[in-house]
Amino acid sequence: MSDRLTLEQRPAAALKWVSTPDRRKVVFAWLAVLVLFVVGGLVKSGFASGHSISTILVVASFTGYVATGQMFVILIGGIDLSIPWVLNAGAILLVTSSLGHDSSAAQAVLLTLGLGLVVGLVNGLGVGYLGISAVVMTLAMNGIMQGAALGLTNGLTCSRCTASTPPVVHKAVLGAPLGIPNDLLLWLGVTALVTFVLSATVFGRRVYALGNNEQASFLAGVNVKVVTVVLYMLSGLFAALAGITLTAYGGQPTLGLGDPYLLQSVAAVVIGGVSILGGRGLFLGAVAGAIILTTLVTLLQALNMPDYGRDIVYGAVILAILLLYGRERDLG
Amino acid sequence: MSTQMSGAVEKQTWRSPRRHFVAQNSPVLLSVVILVVALTAYYFLYYRQLGALPDSFDLTTIVDNALPLVFVGLGQTVVVVTRGLDLSVGGVLSISVALAATQMGHGVGIVGWSLAILLIGALAGLANGVLVAYARLAPILVTLATLSIFDGLAIMLLPKPGGRIPTVLTNVLTNPNRPYGLVFLILALLIWFVLRRSSYGVALFATGNDETAATANGINVRRTKLWAYAISGVCAAAGGLFFAARTTSGDAGAGTPFVLTSITAVFLGGASLFGGRASAYGTTCGAVVLTLIVNVLFFAHVNQLYQSLYEGLLLVIAVVLGLVVGRLARRQA
Repeated sequence: MSDRLTLEQRPAAALKWVSTPDRRKVVFAWLAVLVLFVVGGLVKSGFASGHSISTILVVASFTGYVATGQMFVILIGGIDLSIPWVLNAGAILLVTSSLGHDSSAAQAVLLTLGLGLVVGLVNGLGVGYLGISAVVMTLAMNGIMQGAALGLTNGLTCSRCTASTPPVVHKAVLGAPLGIPNDLLLWLGVTALVTFVLSATVFGRRVYALGNNEQASFLAGVNVKVVTVVLYMLSGLFAALAGITLTAYGGQPTLGLGDPYLLQSVAAVVIGGVSILGGRGLFLGAVAGAIILTTLVTLLQALNMPDYGRDIVYGAVILAILLLYGRERDLG
Repeated sequence: MSTQMSGAVEKQTWRSPRRHFVAQNSPVLLSVVILVVALTAYYFLYYRQLGALPDSFDLTTIVDNALPLVFVGLGQTVVVVTRGLDLSVGGVLSISVALAATQMGHGVGIVGWSLAILLIGALAGLANGVLVAYARLAPILVTLATLSIFDGLAIMLLPKPGGRIPTVLTNVLTNPNRPYGLVFLILALLIWFVLRRSSYGVALFATGNDETAATANGINVRRTKLWAYAISGVCAAAGGLFFAARTTSGDAGAGTPFVLTSITAVFLGGASLFGGRASAYGTTCGAVVLTLIVNVLFFAHVNQLYQSLYEGLLLVIAVVLGLVVGRLARRQA
């Protein structure tokens, strides 16, 4: 336990770092990222080029954002099934409130993020204070957001719905003044911040404590309800952020834009080695999970796999990963 | 002291048969009340709009429209009893609609394909069951993953909406001029009535209430769960057949709404989130309520696009009401 290590002790220290199962899973996940890019580069020339990698990572960042929110609630044994239509409603709100004008872009972005926070607040109140199960509460919320988004825009046929993303938002997300797209810098920043918050702050400790044992953490002075509400709000916030970046990327919102992201958010988190029962797992794993999913599908698309194959592959990959290390303790 | 205790115990356990029935079935009775309210609203709005009461054709249509959800909901009920959840019902329903639209006219004929579709549903459910019961994976993750796989398979079978559903299927399953739909509904409830009283029914509810205690009493918890998911698969496939019968062509996305609505129907029907408590009668009421809502919204001139908003709200209200009723019942006991 001494601070100074001799030369012989250093490899041992590295081994020690991966000695916990949670950290090992993160290492495995990043190794899988590496393998996918190497294999991709071998079977398809140009797959592992700098430009290709940057494109893949930008697409992966959308999954990364929703996975960030999903990870927060999964860490306390919850789940957020409302992500698809919070994302979709956010995307629609961004263009309908800004009408594609740069002058109102800032308000539109804040409004969209606010929508995510409010929806998350309602989810959190339902789960934390009313005691509704997370699955039911967020599934209902997904339906509510879907109905509201469809009804208020008359099925995305309203006159305001034809607007597109304000150019300034597009530029802020996909511009690359520093050589790499801003979106990737944002994702890197989010990753650094969330890793710091979860591993080095009191709040992070409370999240893990709550996920491990709600009663014990309550007795230890964690305000269970408040932490729960905050985490669901963060999940809503990140779903809205994904809605904004995705609309900046695609130019216009579409109906069903968010639907693939329910499975992807859960899959990224699970592939990253986070326990679905809560309390275990590192954020870096979820980041790797998002990259794995996107790279895998890009690779399969490059190999001319039809669209429906994506659904099948996602499902199969999740099951395979779950079988590897997602099993619950044997109660029988 | 001891006499006082026994007196208190006696006070707790003895209730008149009628009060006992009400206390035991309060969530289901609540769903009946919700059904009556929805029916009243439907009759009222129908009369106000059309100046007449709904005739037997209207009522048959409502039952026929409710049948897919009733069947999917019944399967979901069995899984919810085991404290699980089956999100893959949407995918199974999509597969059976896609098969009905593309295959039913050929090969082994309509009866043969109907049986094949039910069998495929059972196999899909068994796959879920093996992964949940024997591989010990969380039900929500397993069925989320298989939902994606089944959806993909359905699109593979029927890439674009189309195909043709044989009219014979419509005439037999959901004939708008004959109350065959009602017959199938009663048949399904009869099967539940028997199942609930069979040894499997006892094992099912014992498993949902307390797995450890069930195991201690010689119940094979794993096998019970396995069959619960298989039943859900069969029911979802049957729901697909009824859904296909109401349409002339197929759509591989047909099952998607059923993920939300089947769960809503189960909880509207008074099921407990914590397992061990659910009823096919309640779920059927819930499914009919959700079907009536479409009509009520139509007559109330509410845009149909808002439908899932009302479904979501109803789900939250049903669950909160269930929690409140449960808390009150415990306080009374």
